[in-house]
Amino acid sequence: MKLGNYKKLLPKIVVGLVIALIFIIPVFTTSLVTLSKFIVIGFWAIAAMGFMLIMRTGQISLGQAAFMGLGGYTSAVLMIKLGWPFWPGFLLAGIVAGVVALAVGVVAVRAGPIAFSIITLALAEIMRILAVEWEPVTNGIKGLVVTPPFPIYLDYYFILILVTITALVFWQIDRGRLGSLFRVIAVNPTLAESEGIPLTKYKVIAFTIAAVFTGFAGSFYAHFLGVMSPYMFGLWQSIQALMMGIVGGISSLVAGPIIGSVILNTLNDLLSRLPIYSIKPTLFGAIVLLVLLFLPKGTGLIDLWRMFWNKVFREKSVTVASPN
Amino acid sequence: MPPVELIVNGLVQSCIYMTMAFGMVLVFSILGILNWTHGQFYMLGAFVVYYAVTAAGIPFPLSILIAGAVIGGLGMLVEKYVIERVNVPGLGLLYVTGATIALNFFFEGGAGMVFGLDDKGLYSALPGVLELGSFNITYQKIAVIAFTLIVMITMYVVLNFTKIGLAIRAAAQEPSAASLYGIKVGRLSIIVMGIGCALAGMAGAIIAPVYMVNPFIGALPLMMALLAIIIGGIGSLTGAIVGGLILGFFTSIVPYYLGYISEIALFVTVIVILLVRPQGLFGVAIRR
Repeated sequence: MKLGNYKKLLPKIVVGLVIALIFIIPVFTTSLVTLSKFIVIGFWAIAAMGFMLIMRTGQISLGQAAFMGLGGYTSAVLMIKLGWPFWPGFLLAGIVAGVVALAVGVVAVRAGPIAFSIITLALAEIMRILAVEWEPVTNGIKGLVVTPPFPIYLDYYFILILVTITALVFWQIDRGRLGSLFRVIAVNPTLAESEGIPLTKYKVIAFTIAAVFTGFAGSFYAHFLGVMSPYMFGLWQSIQALMMGIVGGISSLVAGPIIGSVILNTLNDLLSRLPIYSIKPTLFGAIVLLVLLFLPKGTGLIDLWRMFWNKVFREKSVTVASPN
Repeated sequence: MPPVELIVNGLVQSCIYMTMAFGMVLVFSILGILNWTHGQFYMLGAFVVYYAVTAAGIPFPLSILIAGAVIGGLGMLVEKYVIERVNVPGLGLLYVTGATIALNFFFEGGAGMVFGLDDKGLYSALPGVLELGSFNITYQKIAVIAFTLIVMITMYVVLNFTKIGLAIRAAAQEPSAASLYGIKVGRLSIIVMGIGCALAGMAGAIIAPVYMVNPFIGALPLMMALLAIIIGGIGSLTGAIVGGLILGFFTSIVPYYLGYISEIALFVTVIVILLVRPQGLFGVAIRR
């Protein structure tokens, strides 16, 4: 092997090492606090990936919390009220989220991208009101207390596998025919339509796929938290998914949301130790604004890393990946 | 027949939603984007009038104008330094939505940090009750309705009978042709953003004595204004007014009969309207 090849090999080795390290973390520590942080990061990474998949089709969903909460409530209600075990409830959670997304999506997508944002926002709000008021089923504002199905280290592997599956599925979608269709729909809907691509169909497909995975993640998250309350449907939850997606990088579907989730959740942890109440929305909003204003258009922190990498290890001038 | 007080409350709420939705649609018609920060301009307007009345001792009617001026200026700054910079052709919608939502939370959190989270009341601003035989109306509510009427008439006159109104209408219809005729669309969009945000600020200011003032009051009017806009049709000023009127009554009279189900009924109504007319009641099918 030639010496020059190390430049090509090094990134792969680094990424491989990081992934291996992530997989063996429970060997070193089974502390609840540490593993919980990773689990939260994993959950938000899935939520942000779902958001980005919808954004791929040129729409902004402000109601991802609806699907997190729907997934969580489905499996929690099935477990508490009907005594179902974890697995069927978990599977049904994703299906319910997908069906609701399909039904709402068909209407919302037809009304245009701006109305889509508004309707998804309203959907999450309606879900929250339902969860608060429909007391016989949801226990109202007190929420449903569910028992965690696994010990904490299995929880950790569960979310790791869920993130991996989501990432692989989304990566394949992005690489394949569906991904190119999404991109052409986002960038030039007129052209796409004149080429005979049914816009509504593909936008609804993206919305539904994202909702299914967000529903799975929400179902797991509810069991991990041990309590499912209407708080899960809050606007701030949907907005966090948006912020993680944008901070990670608009051009990247899988790595960006993960990076964004890592950064913002770590920051979240640090901030919650401060005794200042509303510093979190202020700072998160400021970060998103700075990313949008001062990084090249279509990039986030993931591309910043890529640019840095290329500058250090390859002397060629680099073109930044254009959005979509 | 619901009680008369309920109808008056509905009217007061519709006034606020109408003013908010009107400002948002005005901005939309020039910039082609929705300003998601609008709810926070409403909240900041309420804070400006609160501090103007209680701390500085400025009379209430004058402080409404001050709120309008301050928030309008803030809106112009936002347009010039944020929206204009992220409104890239092609993907402007995504960037502007992301940026204005980030600003929304920046303002909400910032107001929480600066002004505190507790409720502030401004009941002393316009005391008194008008007694009308079988029912009473507070002067504050009359002031809200009168204010909205004045704003709507002023906007009608400005848009239809002045030069700047002509420029706004021209730029809304066809920006490139308008700029060929010497209209500076960039500067016009800053002015329109200023007007729209001033409307939101004044709406927050006039309603401040009726409700509480705290950093979170902006979310509900924003939501309702947005729903009013999609009911009426995105981009239609008449639609914004009619949508606001419908929603104000929906959020005050329907709960009298249905309780919390009214919120779900509202959502279903919006969905049904969009199923029948995806472009809204007054919208045109294709815009730009």
